[in-house]
Order: sequence, then C-alpha cells, then structure tokens
Amino acid sequence: MITTGSKFLYGLGSATSIAAILWFIANDGGSIGVVSLAFLAVALFFMGAIASFVRDGHVLSTDTDAHASSNAAQRNVGRSWFPVGTAFSAGMVAVGLVSSPGIFKVGICLLFAMLGQWLIKNWSDRASSDAAYNEKVRAWVVHPLEIPVGGAIVLAIIVLSFSRIMLSLSKESGLIVFSVMAALVLTFGSMVSVRRGASRRVIGAVAGVVLVALSGTGIAFALDGERHELVEAAAEDHFAHRACGEEAEETDEDAARSVSAKSSVAATVILRDGRLFAEMDGWNGELTSITLQRSNPSTILFVNEDDHEHRMVVEYGKIVEDLGGGVSKDTVLEACTSLITKGGTQAVSIVIPKPSFASEEPYSITVPGVEGASIEIQVP
Amino acid sequence: MKSSRRWSNIIKPVLAVSSLIAVAGCAKDAPQDTWQPAGPNAKMIDDLQRPIFYIAGIVGVIVFAAVAWAIFRFRDRGQAMPEQTHGKPALEITLTVIPVLILIGVGVPTVGTIFDLAKTDDTEMTINVTGQQWWWEYDYPAVGDNAEVYGISDPIVTSGQLVIPEDTKVLLRVTSRDVIHSYWIPKLNGKKDSVPGRVHLLRMEGSEPGIYAGQCTEFCGLSHAYMRMEAVVLSKADYATWVANQLEAYNSPSADNVLAVEGEKLFLQQCARCHQVNGLLNADGTPNVAAPDQYVVSGAAPNLTNLMTRNTFAGASWDLLTPECRDDVWNATPAEFGEKYLAGVSEDCLNQKDLREWLRNAPEKKPMYADPTKLTETGGKYRGMPALGLTEDQISALVAYLLELK
Repeated sequence: MITTGSKFLYGLGSATSIAAILWFIANDGGSIGVVSLAFLAVALFFMGAIASFVRDGHVLSTDTDAHASSNAAQRNVGRSWFPVGTAFSAGMVAVGLVSSPGIFKVGICLLFAMLGQWLIKNWSDRASSDAAYNEKVRAWVVHPLEIPVGGAIVLAIIVLSFSRIMLSLSKESGLIVFSVMAALVLTFGSMVSVRRGASRRVIGAVAGVVLVALSGTGIAFALDGERHELVEAAAEDHFAHRACGEEAEETDEDAARSVSAKSSVAATVILRDGRLFAEMDGWNGELTSITLQRSNPSTILFVNEDDHEHRMVVEYGKIVEDLGGGVSKDTVLEACTSLITKGGTQAVSIVIPKPSFASEEPYSITVPGVEGASIEIQVP
Repeated sequence: MKSSRRWSNIIKPVLAVSSLIAVAGCAKDAPQDTWQPAGPNAKMIDDLQRPIFYIAGIVGVIVFAAVAWAIFRFRDRGQAMPEQTHGKPALEITLTVIPVLILIGVGVPTVGTIFDLAKTDDTEMTINVTGQQWWWEYDYPAVGDNAEVYGISDPIVTSGQLVIPEDTKVLLRVTSRDVIHSYWIPKLNGKKDSVPGRVHLLRMEGSEPGIYAGQCTEFCGLSHAYMRMEAVVLSKADYATWVANQLEAYNSPSADNVLAVEGEKLFLQQCARCHQVNGLLNADGTPNVAAPDQYVVSGAAPNLTNLMTRNTFAGASWDLLTPECRDDVWNATPAEFGEKYLAGVSEDCLNQKDLREWLRNAPEKKPMYADPTKLTETGGKYRGMPALGLTEDQISALVAYLLELK
C-alpha cells in the first residue's frame, strides 16, 4: 500500500527525476546537476519505500490487519482553495503564452506554488485523524518558506505602490505627500510603542487597511501614468544619454558610482561675466589651467553665473579606431553637463586614462557659445 | 625568606621589561622617528606632543602610584570590613575639575596646531601624490607657481621619492587610485589618508637637505609593508638643477652601447605597455604612450623617465644604490647632500642584485597577486608587475638600458 507519507516522498522523487531530465536537456548533458538531482530522487524514492514499508510509522508492517484502519490510511481531507489557485495559475500561464511573457512567468511561478501547497495540504490532511495536528504539521513544512516569501511580496507591493505614486505625482506634491506619510507612520509607530496594551488585531487591521489603500492608490496612479516631464523625457529619448549632442538635455551617463567621487570636487569651473575660470583646492586664485590626476575619477562642478543657459564640455582626447582598409574612425572623448540656467550648478565625473601629451589636441574645458571660454586640463 | 623570594619574583620581570624599553631607546638607525622633526610642520607636532607626553607621563605616574599605594595600604590582612559610605561631593568635584583643566590645557594648543597644519593659503608649490597598490606616484603639474617660480614648464612624473626644495611650503594633493592608503613622512609632517575619489591636502616642508623615510600607514593589501616612500629635500639651487634634469629631452642609448640599445628595444616590447618613458619613440617613430589602464587594476604603473635619478625602485622598497653608495648619500652632510643625490645612480653604484631579481621575477620579490591564472576577479588586470619570463641576457640588456635613464 502507498501510504500518505510515502506518497509525498514518491511525488517529490518524481518531480526531482523530471527536474534531472530537464536539467540534462537544458544544459546539454551537464553532469553535476543531473547527478545531484538523480541522487536526490533516488534518496526520496528510498525514503518513500521505507515509509511505505513501515506504514508511515503508525503500524508494524507485519500487522496487516491494522493497515486499513491506521491513521495514514484514513481520508480526512479538509477544504482547500489550492485547486482553485492552481486552475487560476494555469489560466494565467495560458493567457501569458499568447499575451505577455511577464504574465506567463508569474503564472508559472504561481502554478508551482499552488501545486506545491496543494500537495503539502493533501499530505498533511492525511497525517493523522486530528485536524489541528495536521494543520500544525503543514505549518512546520510550509511556514519557513511561506513567511519570508509572503513578507517579500508585501514589501514588493509597498515599494511598487510607492514608486508608482512618486512617478505620478509632481516633484513638489510628492515631497509634501511623502513627508506627511512619513509623519503618519512615525506617529502610528510611536502610539503603538507607547500604548503597550494595544490589541494585535487592531494593529493588524490598521496595517491591512493601509496596505490595501496603498496598493489601491498605487494601481490608480499606475493607470493614470507617469508625470508629464517623465513621459516627455522618455518620448524624447533623454535616457539614451545623448549628453553632448546638439539636442542634449540630460547628462551623467558616465556616473562614477562612487559616493566619495561625487562628494569631492576636483575643480569648480565658473562662468562669470563672459569669463571662464576654475578654482581648485590647493591652488590660489582664478585658474585658466588646471591639473587632474591620471586614471582617477575626477568630479568637475560647473557653476553658471551668466544670464543665459550654458553647458560645460570637457574634452580629453580622442580614440582612433582602425576599421581596416586604410579607414579609421575618430571618437572624441568628452563629457558635458546639460544646459544650466543662471545660478545653476551641475557636475560631471570623468576618468582620464592618458596623459595630456598623448593627445594632439589639448585637453580642455569649454562653454559652447562663449568665445574664448576655455580652460586647459593638464594630465601629467 | 618567603617574602624576599616573592619580591625577587616581581622585580626580575620588571627589570627585564624596563631594560628592554631602555635599550629600544638606543636605536641609532631610526629614520622614521617622530621625535626628530626636520621641518616646521613636524616641529609643530613635536612642540605639541612633547608637553602632552610629559603631562600624560606625570598623570600616569601619579595614578599608578596612587593605585599601587591603595593596593598595598589596604591589602587584605584579615581586618574588619571598613565603613561603607556613598558620595563625597568635595572629592568628586575635585576629581572632575582636575581632568577637565588638564584636558583644556591639552585641547587648546591641540586645536590650534590642527588649524595651523590645515592651512593651505600660504603654500608656494603644489604636487599631486597618488597612492596605489603598492607605490606612490608624484606628479608636478606645470601650473601656477610650479611653472612660474620653480621652472616646471612641463609636467614631471616620478615615483617612490618626493623631491622638494628646502624651506618651501609645499602642498601635497593626496589621493588614491584603488584602496585607502595613508601618506606619512614622520620627520616632515603627520599622516594623511589617501582615499579614492577624494583629494586630501597635506603640507610638507623640509628645513635641511636630506632624505626622509616614510611608510604607508593604512593597511592596503598584500604588500602593504612594501609600500614605502621617501621625501628628498634639496637646496633651492639643487632643486632647480633637479627640475632641469627631469625636463631634459630623452636620448636613446648611443649606438656604441649595444647592450643598452638592445635593452631599449626589449623595453618597448615588454615594459612600455605599462611603464611610460617620456620621449621614447616606437619603431615607427611615433611617441610611445603607455597604457597601464589596460593591464593594471589601478590604471597606473611607475613612470620610469629618469629612473636612475632616483635612489629606489618598486615602491621605494629596494635601493637602486649599493649599500656603500646608499650610505654615502644618506649620511652626507646637508651641504654635500645635493651634489651626491643629483649624481644619480652610476654603473659602479647600481644595486644590480635587487634590480636583476626584480626583473627576473617581480612577484616573488614583492607579492602582488600577479598570477595570470587568478585574474578573473580583476578582468585579467594585474595588481602589480608580473613575472615576464626574461632570460638572463635580456635582463642584462634591460639593466644596461635602465642605467641610461637619467
């Protein structure tokens, strides 16, 4: 007889065997995964056989009369919504196949989760005739997985809802809304910590209502779309970072990914009264020639004090690529800020790997449109 | 009898430890001695640390004596438990006020000294100092007073030895290309961390011509102990000569020096990918531009232009001079020092042993994660010089060529 416990192990063993075959196909016969999974499958089948032999430990194998009346042989299946979930997931998979890979992937994940839950539920419902004990057994098996996954899903919902709301609200409104929300969270947390007798159920209910409200608002704002500037930026392909082109609006495509680089300005370049000059730590006065250390991230801050919009362009040589057949392609190495209005500042971070003398053209900082506005960059 | 043995057991180890400490004070060759300042910045620190040391010493002696007296006076002799009391405001206030006064006495000059050492608006010369695993690069930009006053018409790049004019307030702009290091020439100033992406400023001034040793003081990886540095202080006239030497145009070895000519070719094939020698031309006549950013994690390798005007190599870890010649330079009087230093490294004085060992297998001499089979984490880039697999003849040719670099 195949007992409830052994059925679970046989089921897992079969799934593992299928996984081993899939691994073999997907990895062109990769041996480590196949061998590992095959060993696991054998172990699971072996444990299933032992469970069958000892009748899940409830009766002696020799006591054949007790086999039919043992707990493991009793059907005591409770109500379960996992079949519904499985059907829904299968529907998602089918819809995803013809519509969106995203839905398909979510459907697959959900399908496996539902099947797993269904399997474990069925198994635990047959563990004994005591429904409370069966539920406890189920919890032992699934809670180590359910709780962290559930937590991650709730967190993802919160983050996603927050991001949708932030992307939809204007910058000014977003600042106010999230300041108020942060204050509310702080107030609620303070109240809970002060009122130690607060009912768990009340706290849970409040948290649940907030979660539902937040996700509902997030969905509403997601449907409403992102705010005007972001939609326009995406439409104009600002995120492609055509920073130094004629149509350039954005910059920072070469972010240094270093907090310290951003916080330490190598040089501050100022445009004032039609003059361009630099100020640097370690050098006194207004400089028209600066030095940057080679192969080192350097952040240059541009301050526009002119009445018109200007951008700063840093040029540091060019790469000549030999395309063969006597044809070569020149790529000018440059970085620039976006257009800055009067009083505005913006920084660019660059790493210059070659010394100045490696370039025929001097390395320089210029402001297009301002005649004679140029600072020499010396890289020793 | 028992009592005298007990005293003997205590006194012997105390005497042994005291003797060791006393003997340590007799060390002659202590080039990194913080108690021997050789410049105004280090002198400022010394003027601060000496009185603080004396105050701390006196406080320490009083505290230890009080503790020892209390232990001895109130030792357990089977007497009855003394009366237990709580609180003695007069004593507590006194014991609070005295440390506060001491700390104020220490704190006021300390803060003043910190501000004096952080001044940058009166400096006369600026040098960029860049740390990387495991050596220091110095570049002297041809900007501002560097060019106008000190004649640095083109940037000078060196490594290992910082060369500065005497009695000149030099400002070092210290940074790093990879991990955090710390720059410290104890006889000239305190230490300053070099942090990737940040430029820290450090004043440096030497009052007397000579060489002053230092050491990276922030653990920075496998060869941290080999990351040394030296500051060379020259008289102003000698400094002008040094600058002129550094700016002299490159000359290939003369055709008579066959070995060096061969070495130059080998250098172009093997070394010039990472090491820059200003003025060196490729076979097609174009200037050679090293590309260490393609081969080394930090993106830099020592510039070897005028290598033999320095006294050290490989992160100032080994001398280019033989021990006798080195002593001659290091122990020269301030008046003679400039001439001896500017003479550079002659064939007779070249420390062939260490240089050849370095060229034979650099990572064996100085661990540098240079195993080419283990470079996956760095995208195939080295952290230092790899073993080039040179033959002895090739090493001889390279040594002959390097000897020409001055």
